[in-house]
Amino acid sequence: MMALAEELHEYSGGVNELLARYGVKFGIYKNGEFHEQLFPFDIIPRVISSEEFAYLERGLKQRVFALNEFIRDIYSDGKIISDGVIAEEFIYSGKGYLAQCREISPPKNVYAHISGIDLVQAKNRTCYILEDNLRIPSGASYPMIARELCRKSLPSELLGKYKVADNRNYAELLRRTMDYVNTGGISVILTPGRFNAAYFEHSYLAELTGAHLVTCDDLIVEGENLYFIDYSGKKEKVGAVYRRISDEYLDPVNFERQSLIGIPHIFDIYKKGNVALINAPGNGVADDKGIYYFVPAMIKYYLNEEPILQNAPTYLPYYEQDMKYVLEHFDDLVLKDVAEAGGYGVVFGNKLTRSQKEEFIAMIKAEPRRFIAQEVIDFQDLDIYEGNSRVPRKADLRAFVLMSDEPVVWKSGLTRFSRNPDSFIVNSSQGGGFKDTWVMTEEK
Amino acid sequence: MGYDGGKINMSILSRENSERLFWLGRYSERVYTGLRSLELDLSAGDKAKNLCFDEANPETISYSLARAYDNAIVLRDEIGTETFSYIQMAVYEMKNAQRSGTPLMPLQKVIDNIAAFWGMADDIIEDEHARGIIKLGKRIERVDLYSRMNSGSEEIRREIRRLTYRIAKTGLRYDAERVKRLNELAKETNINRQEIIKEVESLINFEEI
Repeated sequence: MMALAEELHEYSGGVNELLARYGVKFGIYKNGEFHEQLFPFDIIPRVISSEEFAYLERGLKQRVFALNEFIRDIYSDGKIISDGVIAEEFIYSGKGYLAQCREISPPKNVYAHISGIDLVQAKNRTCYILEDNLRIPSGASYPMIARELCRKSLPSELLGKYKVADNRNYAELLRRTMDYVNTGGISVILTPGRFNAAYFEHSYLAELTGAHLVTCDDLIVEGENLYFIDYSGKKEKVGAVYRRISDEYLDPVNFERQSLIGIPHIFDIYKKGNVALINAPGNGVADDKGIYYFVPAMIKYYLNEEPILQNAPTYLPYYEQDMKYVLEHFDDLVLKDVAEAGGYGVVFGNKLTRSQKEEFIAMIKAEPRRFIAQEVIDFQDLDIYEGNSRVPRKADLRAFVLMSDEPVVWKSGLTRFSRNPDSFIVNSSQGGGFKDTWVMTEEK
Repeated sequence: MGYDGGKINMSILSRENSERLFWLGRYSERVYTGLRSLELDLSAGDKAKNLCFDEANPETISYSLARAYDNAIVLRDEIGTETFSYIQMAVYEMKNAQRSGTPLMPLQKVIDNIAAFWGMADDIIEDEHARGIIKLGKRIERVDLYSRMNSGSEEIRREIRRLTYRIAKTGLRYDAERVKRLNELAKETNINRQEIIKEVESLINFEEI
């Protein structure tokens, strides 16, 4: 590993120059103003051995399979509730539950087409799942283009020395996922537009998959179908929409009525099975931070298997004994607001002042369902280059699972790191950077 | 990412994107011809520099380049990442020029990047209509600019011929009568530049597509 980092270091400038050249950026709002920023890239990859990957792959497939089954169950019979595995308070009162989705079967019964599962590795090398992202997980495009640009700027004998699985098949996997559920017609990627944080990714994935990048104004529901209108006014039927726009803004007739964006009635024809929405609306019910607690139980319930991958030790203040634990060990825990994402709403118990702490505890007591508490995991730091010196930083891994006839785990992933030595927060919106993730194809 | 050609799906084009392609063509031409005809001594002082670099002023080259970028960034899947990259690099060079004590060197690189952008667009965009629209933007802008800049009559006639050839290949609805009129204007011994500008600016109306 040491040798690898040193070998790569001298090419770091070249790769970053290419990332700038191709506009590999993300958008960020500062004081209400939109800015595009380069996503800081560190050239030392996270390396996952083929053995480790095989284990992760089994665990991730199992997890996504169970989550998909859970969403199907929740919006149909709700057996997991009637069998007493999960209390119904965690389902119907959660923000992610969409009553409109009841009794709807999406094409081929796929709900979680693209899942982004966040993991961390502890110092003892155990991997823990941090969260499941089943709505619109983003980030796959960054390691994909970084790999491409590394191939351009590194000497081929250097890359040839390492047997790394090619990760440039992501677009192909995504295409397969779209085609699998397509109900007849073209596939499109629906973007909220240029001022979305992940706009680079939307446009890049469209370029590579050959799916058309569209905005809401390009699509119209007529009769029982969805159409793309081209510049001459001709209509083209759309069979699959990989939408990078959240449920509430998807259809102003069925969801957020005040919304100025969205495609009126798209949800109505989705209900009838005339178009596939990727990912399915209503998935938020399964990636809620409170539901996360129950995923191991879900795996046992639906698959009758022991979970392969572990959750970080988590407590739900909603349960009396967990509340007691949380209050007693407050300083050792990290507390998360279940409604927040992107690294917001995360509080470390030991970082609060006495009065902040009292305030926070009062909040937990008032709304126990709103928070989860987790043990702080002793992360295995990864080295990054800061100038010419190598320094350790907190990092996580977002693994991508794509569902078609079966779940496929992409042989790569987005490794995000915190640039601040004291921070555990790796999100790009909070200044984090990224690394490529190398999955080795054979043992050394 | 197929930078040696790319997989650009051009079979369908939205109305919004056809308009963007058109303006990408126009603005990049405005940058190119604007810079090539720049006879300012940029080291002379702030006033001259402002004519080039004030991004808030629609008369400047920086402004035109920013608009070219605005259109290019939302056309990545239409024109390809490789084609887009030349506009992106032109933007970086423009920023370098603004900071530089010798701005003509980085400005030459802006010209180089726009030229490469045109080459790549022509090569990579498979769909004839899309390629036609971006080139039409360039041709219309060229006739307009040359007329405004008091270029020679022969140059303007040549540009009107190229525009006439191009416009038929775009699939856009346009005013054929005006094209005829434009060609008649080109035949006059004393070219009426004001009339030409008027006609060329009325050829395409995106509201009516």
